[in-house]
Amino acid sequence: MKRSGLISALLVIALLFSGSVLSAQRRGGGGAARGGGGGNYRSSAQTNVNRNINNNANINRNTNVNVNRNVNVNVNNNYHGGGYYGGGYYGGGCCYHPVAAAAAVTATAVVTAAVVGSIVNQPPATGCVTQIVNGLSYTQCGSTWYQPQFSGSTTTYVVVNPPR
Amino acid sequence: MVVVAGTVLCAPIGTGVLANAGQQAASKDDDAIDPDAMAALDKMGAYLRTLKAFQVRADVATDRVLDDGQTIEFSSKVDMVIARPNRMRVEVTDDIGHRFFFFDGKDFTIYGQAAGFYATVPAPATLAKLSEDLNDKYGIELPLTDLFYWGTDEAITKRIKAADDIGPSTVDGITCEQYAFRQEGIDWQIWIQLGEFPLPRKLVIRTLTDDAKPQHSEILTWNLAPSFSNDAFAFVPPPGVGRITIAEVQAKAAEKK
Repeated sequence: MKRSGLISALLVIALLFSGSVLSAQRRGGGGAARGGGGGNYRSSAQTNVNRNINNNANINRNTNVNVNRNVNVNVNNNYHGGGYYGGGYYGGGCCYHPVAAAAAVTATAVVTAAVVGSIVNQPPATGCVTQIVNGLSYTQCGSTWYQPQFSGSTTTYVVVNPPR
Repeated sequence: MVVVAGTVLCAPIGTGVLANAGQQAASKDDDAIDPDAMAALDKMGAYLRTLKAFQVRADVATDRVLDDGQTIEFSSKVDMVIARPNRMRVEVTDDIGHRFFFFDGKDFTIYGQAAGFYATVPAPATLAKLSEDLNDKYGIELPLTDLFYWGTDEAITKRIKAADDIGPSTVDGITCEQYAFRQEGIDWQIWIQLGEFPLPRKLVIRTLTDDAKPQHSEILTWNLAPSFSNDAFAFVPPPGVGRITIAEVQAKAAEKK
């Protein structure tokens, strides 16, 4: 009991530490935490004047991504996946910060296996190998297979059944 | 010849400002549209249509509003080479890394350098259609989207509810004319180069549908004689870069369940 308590305490410290490092690294991390767990942005400036209709479509898309994000919280946790920024919705390459990756691994250790169909911003940083099946890249982490995909202009990972 | 251009433009500037002052108190009606501002858009659009190939670099800043209403600005740089009607190479550089878009006339490729992945899908025949398809099907918004539409979409003039000529303004040392427009959900301004090359030099869009009124701005630098080979538009995956798929917008909606 004592030992498990100690481990929990260490884990909490580790989580806090990694979270604070992230915040220091990118203001977005702090914003995510302040957002109350979601850490999502509620809107974005319209970026063109000629396509009104599509910007409405974009708003819907944002909602969808947000929903996915919330699912991610279980796997990936706030300080990493919750952010609108490091979470990868914004940029082309998601989540390459080594600290962010480390945080994700720590968080993953406390949850159960990923559910097929769930979406994460980044698979675990260690214990994974890239597999190419029918010309497409997959990331295999033990018995869990992730299929990376472009989601808008960024990458996310869908947990899939083994493709072979 | 500068004098001639100045003379032509001066009269509209004066009337535009006067008209604007008189209409501040009035409700929004057709009178709020300065025909000279609309004509300037048309002229710019028609000119852009004549460009067979160009390179445009842009400094872009886009606001995002957090759940609590705080506005955060994100910056990026865009380097785009276009060869009409169906070739394009775009590099977007932001705080995350480099992202590329290729259109070789047949296929479209998106490549995320930091992630080390790319995806290729068949593309439609033209750049404008490609831009539309990417947005509708995949939720991918090409940067500087308006450049694909100026001079092609008549509907934009119908959406404009107010148009004003603000006057001369300098962008990166280039004398432009600044115009301001209002349409559903946005106020926007454009700086169009004066003289015989009526290029958009700056665009600012303020979104009104969120209380925080997030803003997007692009400052454009033009090269009207770009040098490129056909290889520039074709993507060859670097070693270790894997091919993946692009999620369709409909599929995302389904994931919600």
